[in-house]
Amino acid sequence: MGHKVLVVDQRKCTGCRQCELVCSVYHTGASNPSRSRVKVVKWESVGIYLPMTCNHCEVAYCVEVCPTKACHREPEKDNRVVINKNLCIGCRTCIVACPFGQPFFDHQERVTVKCDYCDGDPQCATFCHVKAISYVDADQANMAKKKEAAHKLADLLKQARG
Amino acid sequence: MNTPTAPSIFPRKVCSPQKEWGEIIAIYLYLAGMGAGSYVIGILLLWIGVPFNLLPTFGFDLFGIHFYLSKAPLLWGPIMVSIGAPFLILDLGIKWRFMYACLNPRTSWVARGFIILSVFIVLGLLVFAKSIFPFQWLRPESSVWFFVEFIAFVFAFATALYTGILLKATKSVPLWNTPFLPILFLASALSTGSMSILLSTLGTGLLSYDSPAIQGLLVMEQVLIIIEGVILYIFLWGRYRSSEQGKESVRLLISGKLRYIFWQGIIVLGFLFPLVLEWISKYYQSPLLLGVAGLSLLTGGFFLRLGLLQAGIKDQIPMQRLVEFQYGLKTAPKSF
Repeated sequence: MGHKVLVVDQRKCTGCRQCELVCSVYHTGASNPSRSRVKVVKWESVGIYLPMTCNHCEVAYCVEVCPTKACHREPEKDNRVVINKNLCIGCRTCIVACPFGQPFFDHQERVTVKCDYCDGDPQCATFCHVKAISYVDADQANMAKKKEAAHKLADLLKQARG
Repeated sequence: MNTPTAPSIFPRKVCSPQKEWGEIIAIYLYLAGMGAGSYVIGILLLWIGVPFNLLPTFGFDLFGIHFYLSKAPLLWGPIMVSIGAPFLILDLGIKWRFMYACLNPRTSWVARGFIILSVFIVLGLLVFAKSIFPFQWLRPESSVWFFVEFIAFVFAFATALYTGILLKATKSVPLWNTPFLPILFLASALSTGSMSILLSTLGTGLLSYDSPAIQGLLVMEQVLIIIEGVILYIFLWGRYRSSEQGKESVRLLISGKLRYIFWQGIIVLGFLFPLVLEWISKYYQSPLLLGVAGLSLLTGGFFLRLGLLQAGIKDQIPMQRLVEFQYGLKTAPKSF
């Protein structure tokens, strides 16, 4: 059976930042978006919002550079990449290495934290009413991405033809 | 009638440098590099047998024991590294867990560095202790010590290179992701290291301007500074052409917020002052000028690490690039 992934559709995002709120409540017990594992990048003046979640990359730089193996992959749990808080020393090398700006340093716990799919029930996807974030099968997500890429290519070709 | 156009420039700064590693890591990289470079140069001078104007019995008495300091300036590098290593621990979120930092040497350069530095500190301090303690049971003439010195030399070289490799290993920062960075840090380690040897002998009478050792060191020092300058130029030129973020990093250093660190800290203090002052001090045989040149070079070495750390801009997030492309957004003006 294929594993599941988080898929973001930026065009649906309204920038309400509910995902940040529910993420922080689930993981820390406090409604504090600064401790959330998902961040919404904003272009306020043009009204564009982009929820950024961890991609749990196949070749994960955070796993590579972690000196303590705190950052590791769990193939049995949706192939997710998680950080073991009991092993993390808070060196922040994973934050510097990640090209997606993902792991975050939790200043209260003094360790690095990241998305763990909320143990199979990602709160950001559950509470996103406009479905800008969804939790779907990886195969389905790949197909959707391929379709989207094909549509974009078609649009560009149309534009090029005038 | 002119229709109002949508704002084409978004307010968010895309190219902001990383904030995770700052001054503390710069001090760590600097002391590790300088100490390792000092040991590499010192042990080479010792092996080659460069003649010094010094008495082998030079030292001091404590508790009735005579401690020899004649070789101390050449071998004190590991002390610098052992002062620098705690700065890495100081930067950790949970400091007492620092011993965990060696658990993943298979892929992590932080873990490898932990091991490299530990081995160098232990062996280097052993060699240093052997050189100052008068005890015969240490068998200072034994060939085993040469073996220990050699292993420490290899690890000192690895330490000097490692400080650059640590940054290079974080692949998402284009400024650091080049083999020229470890080479640049190695050149800086050797130049600051040899200068620390010269500085540590000032006022002790161990080395004088008549000695071939100091003359050789001064020439080598100037050559190393020039080589380092050339490498820095090639490094910056390469990074400027590598990617948008590499270009921004170089701009940030040369004409942006970090321009004072670059021009005054790295170029003037690290290159121009030492070159000129060393030449004048050689001409006038003035230890004072040499001391000023040395302090200037050492300060420049620190600013080199600090500047390159603070100028590290990460690659743009692919999704962000896609959004910009999709909506035809322009990049924000660089306000740093």
